[in-house]
Amino acid sequence: MARDKIYLEEEFPSPLLQLWHNFKETPVVMLGFSCFVFLTILALFSPLITPYTSVENHLDFLLLPPAWHNDGNVSFLLGTDNLGRDMLSRLMHGTSLTFGLSFVVVLISLVIGVIIGSFSALTSGIKSSFLNHFLDVILSIPSLLLAIVIVAILGTGLSNTLWAIIMVLIPQFVHITRNAVTEEFRKDYVLASRLDGASSLRILYHSVFPNILEKLISQATLAQSSAILDIAALGFLGLGAQIPMAEWGAMLKNGIDLFYIAPWTVYLPGLAILFAVVATNLVGEGMRHALKVSKEA
Amino acid sequence: MSILAVKQHIFKAMLLPFLCVISACNTENDKSLSNHSIVYCSEGSPESFNPQTVTSGTTIDATSNQLYNRLISFRGEQNTIAPSLAKSWHVTRDGKMITFYLRKDVAFHQTNYFTPTRFFNADDVLFSFNRILSAEHPFHQVSGGKYPFFQSVSFSNVVQSIEKINDYTIRFKFKYADSSILANIASDFAVILSKEYADALVLKNIKREIDTLPIGTGPFKLKEYRPGAYIRYAPHQDYWDKPSSLEQLIFDITPSSIGRLTKLLAGECDVIAFPIAHEKIKSKPELELEEVTSFNVGYLGFNTVKPPFNNVNVRQAVALAVNKQAIIDTVYQSKADMAHSLLPKTSWAYNKSTLAQTYDLSEAKKLLVDAGFPDGFTMNLWALPVQRAYNPDAITMAKLIQADLKKIGIKVLIENSLDMGSFLEQLSKGEHQSVLLGWSADHFDPDNFFTPLLSCSSAKSGNNRTFWCNEDFDDLLQQALETTNVTQRKRFYSRALAIISTEVPLIPIAHSKRFQARKNIVKGEFLSPFGGIDFSKASKN
Amino acid sequence: MLTFTLRRLNLFIFTMFLLTLLSFSLSFLFPGEQLINISGQVNATPEQLIILGEHYQTQSNVFQQYFAYVNMLFHGDLGISMASQLSISTEIMNFLPATIELTLVALFIAMLFGIPIGFIAAINHRKATDNIILSISMIGYSIPVFWLGLLAILVFSIQLGWLPSAGQISLLFEIEHVTGIQFIDILLSNSPYKWQAFQDASAHIFLPACVIALAPATIFVRLARSAMMEVLESQYIRAAKAKGLSFRQIIYHHAIRNAMVHVIRDVGLQFANLVTIAMVTEVIFSWPGIGRWLIESIYQRDHTAIQGGLLALSAFIFIVHIVTDFIYAALNPLARESRHGT
Repeated sequence: MARDKIYLEEEFPSPLLQLWHNFKETPVVMLGFSCFVFLTILALFSPLITPYTSVENHLDFLLLPPAWHNDGNVSFLLGTDNLGRDMLSRLMHGTSLTFGLSFVVVLISLVIGVIIGSFSALTSGIKSSFLNHFLDVILSIPSLLLAIVIVAILGTGLSNTLWAIIMVLIPQFVHITRNAVTEEFRKDYVLASRLDGASSLRILYHSVFPNILEKLISQATLAQSSAILDIAALGFLGLGAQIPMAEWGAMLKNGIDLFYIAPWTVYLPGLAILFAVVATNLVGEGMRHALKVSKEA
Repeated sequence: MSILAVKQHIFKAMLLPFLCVISACNTENDKSLSNHSIVYCSEGSPESFNPQTVTSGTTIDATSNQLYNRLISFRGEQNTIAPSLAKSWHVTRDGKMITFYLRKDVAFHQTNYFTPTRFFNADDVLFSFNRILSAEHPFHQVSGGKYPFFQSVSFSNVVQSIEKINDYTIRFKFKYADSSILANIASDFAVILSKEYADALVLKNIKREIDTLPIGTGPFKLKEYRPGAYIRYAPHQDYWDKPSSLEQLIFDITPSSIGRLTKLLAGECDVIAFPIAHEKIKSKPELELEEVTSFNVGYLGFNTVKPPFNNVNVRQAVALAVNKQAIIDTVYQSKADMAHSLLPKTSWAYNKSTLAQTYDLSEAKKLLVDAGFPDGFTMNLWALPVQRAYNPDAITMAKLIQADLKKIGIKVLIENSLDMGSFLEQLSKGEHQSVLLGWSADHFDPDNFFTPLLSCSSAKSGNNRTFWCNEDFDDLLQQALETTNVTQRKRFYSRALAIISTEVPLIPIAHSKRFQARKNIVKGEFLSPFGGIDFSKASKN
Repeated sequence: MLTFTLRRLNLFIFTMFLLTLLSFSLSFLFPGEQLINISGQVNATPEQLIILGEHYQTQSNVFQQYFAYVNMLFHGDLGISMASQLSISTEIMNFLPATIELTLVALFIAMLFGIPIGFIAAINHRKATDNIILSISMIGYSIPVFWLGLLAILVFSIQLGWLPSAGQISLLFEIEHVTGIQFIDILLSNSPYKWQAFQDASAHIFLPACVIALAPATIFVRLARSAMMEVLESQYIRAAKAKGLSFRQIIYHHAIRNAMVHVIRDVGLQFANLVTIAMVTEVIFSWPGIGRWLIESIYQRDHTAIQGGLLALSAFIFIVHIVTDFIYAALNPLARESRHGT
């Protein structure tokens, strides 16, 4: 015979778990999150799942519209471009490039930015004031402009674009880390640890980081959506990934010349970018909302 | 007045510019302006306003038939030579002397930088040609001293002297008879400039302006030029032939082909150059697509003085590896003929039996191994940055060739970052290993396909992008020029074509048609099978 | 107010110092010879190069070279463009006004639509309107601007034929280039078609400005919404409600004014973002502005032009930022206190 629970157990989930609970509550956000996961899986496994490779030229099947058109062909589900390359495969492969690489880029800038930011928060005086002003100036230059200039120095190509975007995102993380750490350092629990004799580094690692983690994650999602758009914009301008790479922005650039004869070559990559950015933004929104709710609770 | 009322007023005031914009959509007032103007979307900026100094089709289109006239021109279905600034001419039996009788009462342009005080006469003809021929001429070195077309047809070698008999008669004396000389004088490059203007420029010490602020006798004069943006032409009111009915002719410089098409579809341009998406244009009732069988060839040229293409086996290997049919289908969208030789079928010197390269990958690999490149090599391929009739999309073509050559182990690096001016400049310096370029003939004579492209003199002037110089080939061309007997000339040209087939300084890829799209309210003929466009007869309904 | 001005001036000078330092160092970082990168004289003869070297103090140490560079800047000499061989300051003066025109119109449209919609969302907080507005603004914020531009041209220029797709004004009108800002130039010109030209220029600017304005507008929606929500929660609003003021009176007389003040502060920050979007949009709509010029210079590897353009554009953004700071400080005396680090 099943018995009801007699003792009411109280659960005290950790902050991260609590965040997750709050996060789960909004259905729209969960939808965004599942799309995000879907994209991540696609990015990781696309070379295995694509029906054709992304650079194969099928010269007998040039400019096929997607399969639901009269002239379409089911073996090329989303049509082909002007060199006969399958749109579906290219879009899937592009997930690893535009979406996947944006994730990598954000991760790298996060780590570097946090390190620099914490060190800068620990120092004070003229050095730190100079760094602050320097950061403010860098932050006031539009990110795409800065990335374009860095690409102009390094040369075009996908890897240089990534370095450029990393360099552009680092100041954002430095700024946020520095502000957050400085704020936390003013709090009492840090003082308590210090009185106990803990070194700054130890305080940083054990006490402060777990508390600012949420802010960092929220900034990271913002940075990722901006990184996706920047990678695509640079690809579109011809400064980033070059054709025949299947990056979404470069695909769009290729599609412009065909806009009137093969509009799907423009619609599809654009929709892909929109989809990825919306998913990332939803996840970010959900995260921020969950943060707010847990702070209020 | 209550704040609410103030806010309502502010709201209405903000609505006004909005309505302004909406009403701009249906304005009837500027109809008159657009009814008498033609906006032509061109594919690039002209390098100069004087066709003598260039061979680029973009510059010829913009200047030659708009600003200038020549002594003689091509007219009619058969493209026969017809009078222009020369009313008539007489050629001696041995072909060594031509006398031109010039037209009277031809006025030069009057602009805000020059006012002519006399009509056109023999002095102007003397000036225009002596500038090219004589290295001591005060204007010879202006703008670089290069006259590529004339150098490539060895103009200064053929012409012995030019004499002024009287104000309206001029006599050309030649060192030897050249059957293509009349065609060369009728070409778009041999324009007539104003000596009076040149003298005025010398006084002000700004000789360069003869090529940048042009004065001619043509149906249009230059009003304003913004590089990279637009050229504004006004009609020449005192034009000796029938003046244009237009009030303005504007060249809207739009290098992107999709940009030109967009402007045509949105109504911002009346005529566009090198249209793409032909089906879309044909499906619109208010637009018209025209085509002209063009006398041209698109080719892949090798720089034969630099390794690895100084080795004929390597050149032949590449020729065997390029899939021309795929290029025709993709780049030309099947609207071109595959080229078997340099000459298109429509030329009377075309020879069916000229050996064409087949598509044979294993043979290509074998040749590479024989030539000492068993593992292939890396090469650069320069793709021309603008659309031309002979090549609507060099970058895609380069990518297809890149994929083709990968199959025999050759790695291709595509170079297309320059604008057309720098591109041609670097080519003439021989900076390339191979190039995708082409040639639109300037007149019907088959010599125009050979001498400017592959002769030794052309290699010296930099117009022969292959820098290939073959004595036997040059001899054949010379012999073909010295006779007017068509059968004999045909024989010489077949032998010349055979040499090209074995030596492969270039791979001819396609002969294409030249297309143009316009709104059907624009009337008049302005495309010709060779040479630049001509808006003198254009008008709007 | 004086201390505020002095602090701002201090910040401006410091920023200009950093920007010039950045653009100066670019000449070393770009591939190619440093002297040619900084001056643009690709065709110089060896003698000319020596004279140029003296101008830029290439024989001395880096600091003197930097001062020589700044000296040239003060004389308005930014070098010449490697591609067109025209003076860069002339090119910038030709193209910058067009960008100023476009970005200001876009900013105006973004504020005109973004702020009221944000207020409406805040007032209807937790109701359907709020959610709809938030969702639409989320999508608006996520659309890649280059894609949006292409679609806008397809729909509005080609399918509907309402608006033109490229350029600042139809080439049929001959308007002399005086300031570079079309609307002013039209008024100053003596063309008989002034009114049509004005309409034509408005039609040309409308589509690109709207495309640019979309993303910033969505940001203004959020900013206005959160500002308004904060204001609506505040004590004085509650007091007004308690006093019995009507809803309309509360909103128009009290809430908007106070919320606006908060929003204005962030307008300056958003401007940098807006200019970036404008650069890409200029390429799509062939708008003859400095963004398009800068991107073309990058294609052509014109290092001198990139240096000059970057400097000019960043300075422009920063000046607008400071101007909005001043406007904000004028409206809100509280902001005149010192702020650390920012």
